[in-house]
Amino acid sequence: MDVLLGEPWMLSPSVALRPEPFGALAYHFGNRKLTFLKRPELVAVVRALGEAADVRTALEAAGVPASQHPAYAAALRGLAATDMIRPRPVAAAEEVA
Amino acid sequence: MNPETDNQIQQGELAAEDLIEEVSIDGMCGVY
Repeated sequence: MDVLLGEPWMLSPSVALRPEPFGALAYHFGNRKLTFLKRPELVAVVRALGEAADVRTALEAAGVPASQHPAYAAALRGLAATDMIRPRPVAAAEEVA
Repeated sequence: MNPETDNQIQQGELAAEDLIEEVSIDGMCGVY
């Protein structure tokens, strides 16, 4: 299982999401990268990352079946490669809790 | 390049390429 699933991630602060019928467009204002998020579920996951305890929690909240978690994890790694999403620093208080 | 039609995916055959597609911003000229 991909270790990313157990990690806290977040949408990059430099990224804007524009809703589209197929999902969303993600635009990074820093590196000018543009990526189609081709499923509404993926958009929900990306939006939820910042508040979810980890990626798996965001996937489950978006209704993504466990059988598809590896594909979503791979897609999220693709988004991470262009800084669309990034690892979320864990606050000291959150680490202790 | 048509994300709408790309959404026709069989359950259980999902791949990362079905979920995201990086595009050239130059290729979007005239579209957005």
